[in-house]
Amino acid sequence: MSSAERVAFEHVTKRYPGTGAGNPGAVEDLSLEVPAGKICVLVGPSGCGKTTSLKMVNRLIEPTSGRILIGDTDVARRDLIELRRSIGYVIQQVGLFPHQTVGENVATVPRLLGWDGARQHARAAELLELVGLDPGRYASRYPSGLSGGERQRVGVARALAADPPVLLMDEPFGAVDPIVRERLQNELLKLQERLAKSILFVTHDIDEAIKMGDLVAVMQLGGHLAQFGTPDEILARPANDFVARFVGADRGLKRLALVRVSSVDPQPVTTIMLGSDAAEARRRAAEDDFPYVLVVDERNRPLEWCRDDAIPTTGTVAGAEGLPAAPILDRLTTLKDALSMLLASDVQAGIVVDDTGAVRGLITTDMISERIRASAERSAVPSSPP
Amino acid sequence: MIDWAWVGDHLDDLAWRTLQHFLFAAIAVAVGFVLSLGFSIWSLRRPRLRAALVTASGVLYTIPSLALFAALIPVTGLSIVTAEVPLILYTLLIFMRNILAGLDAVAPDVLEAADAMGYSGRARLLRVELPLALPLVIGGVRLASVSTIGLVTVSGILGDRFGGLGFFIFEGYRHSFPTEILFGALPSIALAILVDLALVALQRRLTPWAAAQPAGGRIGPAGAS
Repeated sequence: MSSAERVAFEHVTKRYPGTGAGNPGAVEDLSLEVPAGKICVLVGPSGCGKTTSLKMVNRLIEPTSGRILIGDTDVARRDLIELRRSIGYVIQQVGLFPHQTVGENVATVPRLLGWDGARQHARAAELLELVGLDPGRYASRYPSGLSGGERQRVGVARALAADPPVLLMDEPFGAVDPIVRERLQNELLKLQERLAKSILFVTHDIDEAIKMGDLVAVMQLGGHLAQFGTPDEILARPANDFVARFVGADRGLKRLALVRVSSVDPQPVTTIMLGSDAAEARRRAAEDDFPYVLVVDERNRPLEWCRDDAIPTTGTVAGAEGLPAAPILDRLTTLKDALSMLLASDVQAGIVVDDTGAVRGLITTDMISERIRASAERSAVPSSPP
Repeated sequence: MIDWAWVGDHLDDLAWRTLQHFLFAAIAVAVGFVLSLGFSIWSLRRPRLRAALVTASGVLYTIPSLALFAALIPVTGLSIVTAEVPLILYTLLIFMRNILAGLDAVAPDVLEAADAMGYSGRARLLRVELPLALPLVIGGVRLASVSTIGLVTVSGILGDRFGGLGFFIFEGYRHSFPTEILFGALPSIALAILVDLALVALQRRLTPWAAAQPAGGRIGPAGAS
């Protein structure tokens, strides 16, 4: 596995012909460094030059002046084709090749690099597995038959195929619905825990930037870097009015996005396996004062909520009579997302699951507000220098 | 009304004229396709050249076929060249339009992804753009084949050595003999239909991914032009 390499922008400027600085897409004297193995999010309003900056790394766009280093090498000095094959690239529209199967799409760069067929095949299967798609079911399908979320996963798998040290992601989850987006974000963060790539990630969504970024670069119109720092720094100390406005008046609420579900101890929940004895289930449901029990499958994954009094008196627990088991909270879900999902749900409790999808317990809005109070008290204490 | 005795006596002639008809059309379609593909690729990223070539092929298409055959006789005589040149020229507009439309229909995000993955310009054209243009390209081949098979009959004006099944149409007309006209026209229609069906089968074979494409997808059905 290749190690990640830093990406450094040094006084990078991009101007478009016939216009000065300040026009959409231009970049003005951008200097920043993505440390090896970290996620750096470029965030800003449309036209702020964030996508231009991203595309200058793999030279889809050439800078007017300045240079970009990967490791210690100026990208302008590298062979264009070789450079691009060593950088993963994921875009919002995904850009899968419609005439190639999912497996062929994933194996694109290995194929271009001349790997033999068996190795390409094995690598494609490995990557599909990695992004949570069963290779047996997906490898021979065409992209047109996939859902938006599945396409995006294939796009990520394709970008990772040749194990590039650097990954560029341009609004990768911008075209999927919020629930799928939240899940894909968590999956990417989990992948990153294992792969530790240097990732440059572009978004216009400050919440996504705060959630995904080890570092966040806020850009403003004219391609100026307004602030570069950790999400906590950006929220706690916006560098100027622009950043403060862009981050929004609800900065306190947004800081909830810095805290993950994993930092709250879930409370226990009564679970009943589908098909188990109903009388026994009724007895156990009566033991706690929560009006619902959670019906789970044989691997303890949530299936649905069932009201205590809706459990049959005799026979076995059948499914499909309760409320959907939602919201499902992953350990990487932010408390901000958790809270908003809780407020919209039927049962005011979020189901915390582990990485296999098995139930760990519940989180309620009360527990989240408790956690907010605790962190508010902590941040009232002057923070020590890093 | 149909003189079956004549038909029985001329089965060999019918077979050979059908073969000639097919070959004349096949040569024209093949040459026209190669020329158009070359012109299309050459002009794909040269907008002014492209406009000039498409306009020129459009102008050629407006010349009546009889006039074109006649106009070439002083230049190339009563030769196969005189028979083929008009047929080839008429395919250019169909091919150019469909090939360019096919290449234009490739989604920009697909091209961007191909560039970013490290395809060279040539590899991108050969392995991404042309394969994706295939449904419309084959649509062009279908249209050009059917229209050329129709036009081959007109080349019978050049004399007995030409025209494929058109020979019977001209002969039957001269002798006021409906059976012969009918047996020139019907086989040429059947030939056009068979070739079209074969090309549809070929397209299914070559673009399995397009079948999975939902209706109203990025690339329209073949022959939609």
